[in-house]
Amino acid sequence: MSQWRRALAISWKDIESYYGKPPLVTWGLLFPGVLLLSLYVKDPDTYLAIAPGVIAMTLLFGNTSMAAIVVTFEKRAGTFQRLLLAPLSMRTIILGKAASASLYGIATALALSLGLVFVLGMTLINPLIFGIGLILGAMCFSLLGLAAAVVVREVFEAMTLMNFFRFPILFISGVFMPLSQLPPWLKPLAYASPLTYVVELLHLGVAGRSEFTGPVVPLLATLLFLLASWLLTEALFRRRAWA
Amino acid sequence: MSAVAAITVSGLSKSFGSLQALHEVNFTVPRGEIFAYLGPNGAGKTTTIRILAGLLQRDAGEVSVCGADVAREPVFVKERIGVVPDESNLYPELTCRRNLEYLGELYGLRRKVRTSKATELLSFFDLADRGATPFGALSRGLKRRLTIAAALVHDPELVFLDEPTSGLDVPSARALRELIRTINLQGATIFLTTHNLQEAEALSQRVLILIRGRVAAQGTPGEIRQRVRRLNLLEVSFSPEIEAGPLLKACPAVLQAFPQNGVWRLEAAEVHASLEQLVAFAAAAGVRISAISTPTASLEDAFMSFLQEGGPEVEAVP
Repeated sequence: MSQWRRALAISWKDIESYYGKPPLVTWGLLFPGVLLLSLYVKDPDTYLAIAPGVIAMTLLFGNTSMAAIVVTFEKRAGTFQRLLLAPLSMRTIILGKAASASLYGIATALALSLGLVFVLGMTLINPLIFGIGLILGAMCFSLLGLAAAVVVREVFEAMTLMNFFRFPILFISGVFMPLSQLPPWLKPLAYASPLTYVVELLHLGVAGRSEFTGPVVPLLATLLFLLASWLLTEALFRRRAWA
Repeated sequence: MSAVAAITVSGLSKSFGSLQALHEVNFTVPRGEIFAYLGPNGAGKTTTIRILAGLLQRDAGEVSVCGADVAREPVFVKERIGVVPDESNLYPELTCRRNLEYLGELYGLRRKVRTSKATELLSFFDLADRGATPFGALSRGLKRRLTIAAALVHDPELVFLDEPTSGLDVPSARALRELIRTINLQGATIFLTTHNLQEAEALSQRVLILIRGRVAAQGTPGEIRQRVRRLNLLEVSFSPEIEAGPLLKACPAVLQAFPQNGVWRLEAAEVHASLEQLVAFAAAAGVRISAISTPTASLEDAFMSFLQEGGPEVEAVP
């Protein structure tokens, strides 16, 4: 059986054990759902300007948190050692863990988006770009969650480490405020954030327009961030997975 | 099965910062043996297993497991070994059967094979009626059994057992020892670490004693016992029972006396003088010596002797 199928087995087991549980699904949906509903109630005409950013934020927080929690929990319980003892390459383990976390993020974001479409009347001008944005964003953020999990021992340490990056980038990545309205000195930081490009891809999917002229730049940038996340996670797993 | 040894270790060293966990460790485990790897806490036993199982990088030395270097060919080696860690660490939320089947998937077994293997192992470990029970709901003894079963799901050539009977009650430990014997008879080489020296003596063909990361002795249990300095031990039974105080007072050649199930185990400065003094003491006290013997040193005596000598005079048996 190939390493691919073993990665699939890891993913399926994680979905069965963690991601498929109803409390987790509602946890991922509740906060962004309530936030968007409040914005809609306040002003039904402008909530759409923020909806793609909130969906991207859901991906960022959901995926980084869940990937980190699952790995940290398994390290504490000793079950992560089972993967290290099995004839699996490090890439297989990373792929298996990241794929299940990504599926969770995509499912949550998709459920939220479908709710917006069917309940609040949001339209998707370009569903393909929207879908690609969801998938790439989910993969990138899951990998970053895994990277955080492997350098710490406790769940709260992983959360603290990630919040150090997550909250600041929330305010500079176009979630609540368009990039064009950011002060010039913040813009370089915004362009260094993976969330920026995911938000812009989702904006393109929902409204057909973004801060960039087309999908090429955000697409390539997201792919680059995905590659960088993979390389970082793989390097950290090779050095720290046994710790 | 090839003639290549199951494990060959040469000059193995490992440090954690300034702490030298393993220093120039050498040993060979022939295929088909039960090999006991003994040592006090912190001797380096688990570090050795972690290196041999590919969980830890070594600093120096050569290591061959099932004919390959685990650092260079980890997947090849891991396909051929099973590891039972000192803590039972299966997935608590999964049922016993699902745990075995999932591990079968990780080892690349096809669906039909892993299903029948799970059934076979549940039956072999007397867990057939627990297939649908979550691992987390099992008793400690049953968890241990399933953890050993999980290490056998892919029919490994070599099984590492780290403290397999630790924390189990006597019947569970005895049953587990029988299972270990059976697994070995079915062809698997067993690398056993344990604090239970009677267990090591009863199960293993060869023993290695590791003290502070160095090999203190290795060989068959008989060879290890012979290598210990001759202990002047006497075992005496008195009828009726006597107290230690008068005995030690009347027999100055007896250095220490320990009661053990109605038998006095005496450590003597000199056996001949002790015997004369014991006979004189019995006559004077009006008690009868109902049995007397000079026991041979056990593996535990040998282990304690190596420990008390303050570490290894490094010696190795080829």
